Amino acid sequence: MLSFRRIVRIAFSGVRYRLFRATITVAVIAIAMAFLMNILGESLIKKSVAEAARSRIEELHRTDTWIARLSVPRTPEEIIFDQAGRAPVAKTCLDFFSRLDYGRRRILSGSAESVQIFDLLQDAEKQESFFAALANMKAIRFPVGREEFVSFLASWPELKQQIRGVREKEQAAINRIEQARGERSILEALTRADGEFGQAIRDAGFELDDREAETLAAQARDIMDSQLIEDTINHTELRQAVAARKDLLPGDITVNIIWKMLRDADSSEWYLEQMAAAGLEVSGLDAGRVRHLAERRARARLLVKAELRTADTGGGLMGIGQRMTWLALVSMLVCVVGIANAMLMSVTERFREIATLKCLGALNTFIMTVFLIESSILGLAGGIAGTLIGLVICVVRMFFVFQSLLAHAFPWGSLGLGALISITAGILLAAVAAVYPSLRAARLAPMEAMRIE
Amino acid sequence: MKEEQTVQTSAGERRIIIRTIGMKKFYNRKGQITQALRGVDIAIFDAEFITVMGPSGSGKSTFFNLIGALDSPTHGRVFIDEVDVAQLTAEELAFLRCRKIGYIFQSYNLIPYMTALENVTTPMAFGGVQTDEARKRGMDLLELVGLKERWFHRPIEMSGGQQQRVAIARALANNPTVLLCDEPTANLDHHTGDEILAILQRLNKERGVTIICATHDHRMMNVCDRLLWIRDGAIERIARRDEVKVELGGID
Repeated sequence: MLSFRRIVRIAFSGVRYRLFRATITVAVIAIAMAFLMNILGESLIKKSVAEAARSRIEELHRTDTWIARLSVPRTPEEIIFDQAGRAPVAKTCLDFFSRLDYGRRRILSGSAESVQIFDLLQDAEKQESFFAALANMKAIRFPVGREEFVSFLASWPELKQQIRGVREKEQAAINRIEQARGERSILEALTRADGEFGQAIRDAGFELDDREAETLAAQARDIMDSQLIEDTINHTELRQAVAARKDLLPGDITVNIIWKMLRDADSSEWYLEQMAAAGLEVSGLDAGRVRHLAERRARARLLVKAELRTADTGGGLMGIGQRMTWLALVSMLVCVVGIANAMLMSVTERFREIATLKCLGALNTFIMTVFLIESSILGLAGGIAGTLIGLVICVVRMFFVFQSLLAHAFPWGSLGLGALISITAGILLAAVAAVYPSLRAARLAPMEAMRIE
Repeated sequence: MKEEQTVQTSAGERRIIIRTIGMKKFYNRKGQITQALRGVDIAIFDAEFITVMGPSGSGKSTFFNLIGALDSPTHGRVFIDEVDVAQLTAEELAFLRCRKIGYIFQSYNLIPYMTALENVTTPMAFGGVQTDEARKRGMDLLELVGLKERWFHRPIEMSGGQQQRVAIARALANNPTVLLCDEPTANLDHHTGDEILAILQRLNKERGVTIICATHDHRMMNVCDRLLWIRDGAIERIARRDEVKVELGGID
């Protein structure tokens, strides 16, 4: 049989000979693939940014987590979730109850919530009615078998006792912390987390390594100083000064305006002077520090914005969302129809050529292969062009949305994979669309070559 | 019956290359049955030059398609080189078209995006000839039709006569035993038509290729061995050239 190179050459010559229509076909594929790549790329970038933002936000809120830990003991639910390995049934059941809608929970457990339900079900009669009600809810499947659940309920009082013990210990530790911080607020105390207060935390039985202590202290200081600066908004003189500098009405001055202004070196120095003049305590601050705080806040705001913008990621095909999946599928369908039409035209226009080739001894499979390859060449060209276009559009757009955050969380790997997928999709679509036209070409009778137009 | 005898006597011991037995072809178009061929029996010998004549709509094209293995008869049988065409699979048919028969069309049907040489070597590629050898043989064939210097030209850069000569070279690519020509000179001027006829005649004489030519061109009578008239889907008359010449002279 014919060498593959020759088949490709014949197919390629076919493309070159009808360059204009081939270009239009390529454009159709390119548009569809640009669309696909665009939504795919945006969702991949959003996903990557969302992950980066989430971990950074967690980092930013570390102080809050510590404050909570150092001021109240964990709830029984939190303890169960933190130590799920020790009571897996309890965790599964809590999960189940928390996902129930209000009406169903009401029927199953009355007014009781979370761990109270376990207390409630200690009563045999209540247990009976609980399972009866559960059996009535056809749409819901209780994640734990009945026997397992009953045996867990039997062991619940003991578990509850353990939890209470843990909580008491935590309360005792918190009491010691409270002694250690004395009159200070807990945030103020945390600014010394790298010093004596850190030692107090460790003494109380919490785990705190040196690096964590350092970041904690720095963060606490940042928060304290930021609060100091944000409080100046309530200071009438300062407000008026800013209003004069910014050429605004004093009533229009917001925290955001002040922070934005402070990112500029001159302004931050000026503002510090103003603050000192107004009799505020600014001993710990200098212009560089104020700028650092302003930058920190800008970053935090960007993170929050990123979190909001990425809230809709996930779901549908490869996380592009249900709606977008449909749109992509429809665009691909339109593309397939377009290519099929173009290929049918190509076959009709070339029927004499095809018939002649068959007279010269071409097999049906050869004719089919030529047309499939011709279409695949168009698909490859369109796929590459479309992918590039879509990629550029989505990267530029996403850069304007996420700015510096994108540079840190640019998903090279998954975008490359997405591009590969979209190019492959282009080739596949073109090949699929060419199946019927190439079948028609292959079935063409060789005697058509004798026909005279 | 009388015609059969004529064939028998003129044939002597020559090998029969194409034989049809009761060949009929009906076309069913929207319930209306057209009888294109109503029973054709003929035997064509090796190295014979046959001219097929007939008005349009006579079934001439159908006859051509059937003996060229391009179509299958509704009834009857067609043997090409002692092989029943109806028994062949699609692959075997393609092999037959590739190796045994060369086709020459009225409108040349060269592949527009290929050079002359590529056009000639394409059937060789289908026949499994190695590229280098195909190239060499292609050049030889182009030399045979007098177009060796123009091997790199595309059809659009050549005149009708040149295109038809390339088409002849292409038809000869795999040394076929039969050359089927469908009005090879119809689109050409008088002089170029003569050239093509000369080439065909030379092939017939020198290489012993069987040539079957459908034509309206009366010059063809001077070069052929036998003439075949088809009318209304049946053979009206078969005659040797010397028999016809007298008659032609009478008309002229």
